[in-house]
This record gives sequence, C-alpha cells and structure tokens, in this order.
Amino acid sequence: MNQDHMLICARGLVRRFHSGQEEVAALNGVDLDLPKGAFSVLAGRSGSGKTTLLNILGTLDMPDAGTLSISGRDVLTFSAAERADFRLYRMGFIFQAYNLIRVLSARENVAYVLQLRGVPKAERLRRADAWLAEVGLAGLETRRPDQLSGGQQQRVAVARALASEPDIVLADEPTANLDSHSGESLMHLMRELNGKRGVTFLIASHDPVAMDAARELVMMEDGRIVERIGQ
Amino acid sequence: MLLLAWRNIVRNARRSLITIAAVALGLAALLFLWGFNDGVHNSMMRNLQQVIIGSIQIHQQGFFRSPKLTRDIRRPDEVRAALRDFKGPVGWRLRAFALAAGDDASEGLVLLGVDPQRERGVTRIADKVSRGRFLAAGDATTCVLGLTTARNLGVEVGDDIVLLSEDRFGSLAADRFRLVGIIDSGEMGIDRGLAIVPLDYMQDWLSMQGRYSEAVLQTDRDGLEDITRRLRARLEPQGYEVLRWYDMYPVMKQWVDLENGFYYIFLGIVLLIVAAGIMNTVLMSMLERVREFGVMMALGCGRWRLAGIVVTESLMLGLIGTVLGTAAGLGLVAFFHQTGIDLSSQMDTIQRFYIDTVVRTEIDTDHLFNSVLAVLLAASVASLVPVWRVLRLQPVEAIHHV
Ligand SMILES: Nc1ncnc2c1ncn2[C@@H]1O[C@H](COP(=O)(O)OP(=O)(O)OP(=O)(O)O)[C@@H](O)[C@H]1O
Ligand SMILES: [Mg+2]
Repeated sequence: MNQDHMLICARGLVRRFHSGQEEVAALNGVDLDLPKGAFSVLAGRSGSGKTTLLNILGTLDMPDAGTLSISGRDVLTFSAAERADFRLYRMGFIFQAYNLIRVLSARENVAYVLQLRGVPKAERLRRADAWLAEVGLAGLETRRPDQLSGGQQQRVAVARALASEPDIVLADEPTANLDSHSGESLMHLMRELNGKRGVTFLIASHDPVAMDAARELVMMEDGRIVERIGQ
Repeated sequence: MLLLAWRNIVRNARRSLITIAAVALGLAALLFLWGFNDGVHNSMMRNLQQVIIGSIQIHQQGFFRSPKLTRDIRRPDEVRAALRDFKGPVGWRLRAFALAAGDDASEGLVLLGVDPQRERGVTRIADKVSRGRFLAAGDATTCVLGLTTARNLGVEVGDDIVLLSEDRFGSLAADRFRLVGIIDSGEMGIDRGLAIVPLDYMQDWLSMQGRYSEAVLQTDRDGLEDITRRLRARLEPQGYEVLRWYDMYPVMKQWVDLENGFYYIFLGIVLLIVAAGIMNTVLMSMLERVREFGVMMALGCGRWRLAGIVVTESLMLGLIGTVLGTAAGLGLVAFFHQTGIDLSSQMDTIQRFYIDTVVRTEIDTDHLFNSVLAVLLAASVASLVPVWRVLRLQPVEAIHHV
C-alpha cells in the first residue's frame, strides 16, 4: 500500500513500563498503517497493549522507540504544547467513561473544543447543536452530564469528538460501561458517521458488540499486532 | 474560563461558601481590630495634640531643647505672615519657669501664659478644669494648677500662691496669684508641674510685652506633613523651628508604630489562614477533577489554560470573600464609630495616656488597603500549589486517575 494514503504510519513502537524491579514491555515493536476513512477495532486480551498504543497514537504518551507520523507529521518531535495543539485540530477522543466536563451542559461540552479553537460563540453553539442532533440528542442540549444516561453521555462525547472535524477519532473502550443495547447503538452511530462523513475511527475494545461493528479488526497480543482481519 | 471556574465554585457550593466565609470572617475581624486599634491610637494622638501641645509649635530656633525666656520669637510678624494661609486655630503663648510657694511646700513649675479667650479655640485645656474655672478675659493675677501640684502645695481653689520667676533682664519677679481652677486630666505632665496664667499679665510681669515663646497650631492629620513642610521652608531660614507634636513628644508615636507592627504580624497570621483555606479548597477541587483535566488535555487544552482555570477559581473565592469581608469589616467599624465601645468599666475612671474611655472605631486608609490587598495576594499565592500540580499533570496518568 502507498504510504501517502496513510493517516497513521507507525514503525517499531516500543513502550516499556517499570513497576518496581520489573520492566513490562507494553508495546513490543508495533507497526501500524491506518488509511483515511478506516473504521478499525483494536482488539486483544486485557493487558495486550491496546490502551498504551492508543495513547501513543493520540500523542498523549511517548514511545521509548519507534517512529510515528500522523497526517504526514512527525509527531514524536513535537513539544508538549505542539502536541496539545495537534490534538486540538487533528484528533477526537472518546474514553471509557466520564468523558464530559461535569459542570458544563451537553451543548457547552461540545462547544468547548470549538471555544479552545477560538470559534465565535454563536457559531460554536450552532455547530454544537447541529452535532448533538446528528448523534440523536436533539432536545437534550442543556442537560448536564449527570442528567444524561451513560449511552447519552457517550453520544455527547462522539458529538464533541466530531465537532472539531478531526482527521481521526480515537476511542478507548467506548462501550465498556454501557449495556449491550446502548453499546450497539453507539457503535452503529459511529459506523454511520464513518460511512456518511468519512471520519476515520480507531477503537480499542474487547467488547464483542464493538468488534461486530468493525470494518476491520486489528488483533493485539503481548504488545504486538498479530493479525488484521478485514470484514 | 471564567464560566468554568464559576461553575466549579457553585458546584461545590458548600465547600466554596465555607472558604469564602473564612476569608470574609478573617478579613472582617482584621478590619474590626484595625478599627479598634486605629480608633484608640488616633484618639490618643488627637487628644495629646488637642489638650495642650497642639499639632505644630513654632519657636525661636533651639527653644524646645533649651527653653529660655529670652529665646522668644524674635519677630512675631514674620511668623504671622508665614501663617497667613493657615486656616486652623493658632495660639500664642509665653513660657517660663517659676517656683511656687504654698502654705506647706514649694514646687518648680512650668509657667504658661495663655490668652484665656484664644486658648479655648486652640486647645481643650479649659475643659480639663475639674474644680473652679479656667482663666477668663480680664483676669490678671489668677492661675490654674494641676491637681497633683495643688495637693503638693496644699492649696485649694480660692487660695493664694506666690510665684517666683525671673524677668527678661534676669531680675527676680515675685507675685501673688489667686488659684481659680484645678485641672484633673490624668496626665502627669499636666497635673503636675504646670501653672497657667493670663498671657497679658505674664508679659507685663516678666517685661515681655508683645513677646511670645511659642505659636501653637492645630491641624488634622491629613494636613500635618504638608503644612509643616511649607512652614519649615519659609521659617527655618529665618531662624525659627517648626516642630510637629511627635518631634516634641516622640514616645506616643513610637508606641503607636510598635503596636501597628504587632497588628501587621497578626495580619500575617490571618493571611496564612486565608491562604491555607483557599489552597485547601482549590487543591481538593483540583484533585477531584484530575481525570477531567486529563480529558481536557486530551482535547487539546494546554496546561497553562488549565492552570488559568485553577488560578481563576482561587481569585474568585478570594475576591468574593474579600468583598464580603471588607463590607462586613467596614460595617462594623462604621457601626462602632457611631455607638462607640464603652471601656470605662475596664479602665480606671481616671483617663490615662490620653485614652478615651469610649473607643470610637475608625480605620486608616493605608491599613484598610494593605489588609485587603494582602488578602487578595494570599488568594493568588494559595493557587500556586494547585497550579504547580496542574502543570505537572501527565495526560495519560490524569485520564486514568481514579
Ligand atoms: N502506567 C503503567 N505502569 C505500569 N504498567 C503499565 C502502565 N500502563 C500499562 N501498563 C502495563 O502495560 C501492559 C499493557 O497495558 P494496556 O493498558 O495497554 O492494556 P490493554 O490492552 O488496554 O488492557 P485492557 O483491555 O485491560 O484495557 C499491561 O501489562 C499493563 O499492566
Ligand atoms: Mg485498556
């Protein structure tokens, strides 16, 4: 495959952790090319390194060895401030739970990333409402996170991740705290956004519901990618 | 950022209110204590000036250090001209030494010649007469003594005493004076060793016609330094000395400055409490939100922006507390300025040290501003620890923080 089409291009990523005397290699030489428009689920047993890889791809963590380019940028050379900026303009994140800022309403949560980017108030509120409608939360704009169900909160997180129109959305166990029905509908929503808008998703999950929705499974084992199964 | 900080303060309404209340109470208590302190000090200093010595005295150069009858004001007209712009009351006095002989004993005295009418407009010494009366216009060989001296001499109102002094040429002068009033001020320097006589008579008696030893000015504190500076510029080259009350009697001002120093130490303690309270609140609310901060960092919110939120929270708590505390503190000061705090049961019935038995609180502007600014500063300093923690947050650890 031509690397120019690749959104993510990782080579030989190694990440070690020290706990006491022991050294754990959470990533043990990961090579990964991910094209634009992918909808891939990173699967594997607990402890296989999914979260660690996602953190590094999301520029939240640094590898001990290897190279990584995202959208053609050598992100490993960035300073902390540059990485923050890169995330702001290029990446969306969805975490397992408690994604939202507690004191802000659904609308304000979505608008927050736009505010960080300096989008004027009226414009960002309009866009936030549009994205909330897109994820099926029209009418719940003014609710605070604690007034929303877990599934609804995750949808707000999806709306927020997409509101800044990122190159890629990284999601770590987005369905883990949801019942299977909510999980399924969240996956369905993300898959739909992928199809309709071409947003690239990389989702770490060992939830069968998530794996079922994937267009591609990336299997991890002991800090390595062992298999990629296109569906 | 303001919104986010404000919402976080409101979200933890209870904790925030306790913090704000602590700041406000600390500041209010501080302002009230300043009010009491300044009330006592200022009335003490005012009394000292108003009872007899005045705010400013003008003499011939060197008179204050070694007062001699012949070291009188050389050209009173020069001094009068310099005082033309001065709007406050001015008294002209003559000062000498005398030996008083009563029936039983004798005592050395400062002899002060005052214009009975004019002196009432300058000092309150006339009000301090507790038995008999003060000097009156037309009096000649009358005098007023302090209580201690009157007792030592064994004289009562209506008795005669003989005063011995020297006139301008060094000849002995002796005369008989009728004691018309006794001063009971509670101040040793007045109740003992002072005799007040009519200025006109004293001038004649000591061959000092038209001559004065001192000009006494009363002014409020705001004008004191300015007036002194101007008078000095004009009169010092002409051979006069211009002395503020505390140039002459520095002990009280030194005492006041010392006590204010103690209050500043107390201020420091209050600040520590304020800072600790705010820091505790902000740090707790920050630690509760480590995860949230991690998510915000993942979204692309820089560390400095997060730090800004933390600082804003501290400052908001500090500011609200300061506004409430200032309002409450000034309210207390204003209230007790009106009603006064009666300490007569706690104090000797005799006034000592020019302290009034009813304290009317008031606060000096510099004490007010320093306290308020210091509390605000403490609020900012209190945010340093949480800010430092925020700046060291690693996104990955923060996100997985439980
Ligand atoms: N901060 C850390 N300190 C020490 N070891 C760590 C740390 N983070 C991860 N590890 C170790 O690295 C390995 C990979 O962890 P990682 O969280 O990436 O796995 P995972 O695939 O996401 O697992 P799960 O499915 O349970 O989320 C594990 O052995 C884990 O114990
Ligand atoms: Mg994980």
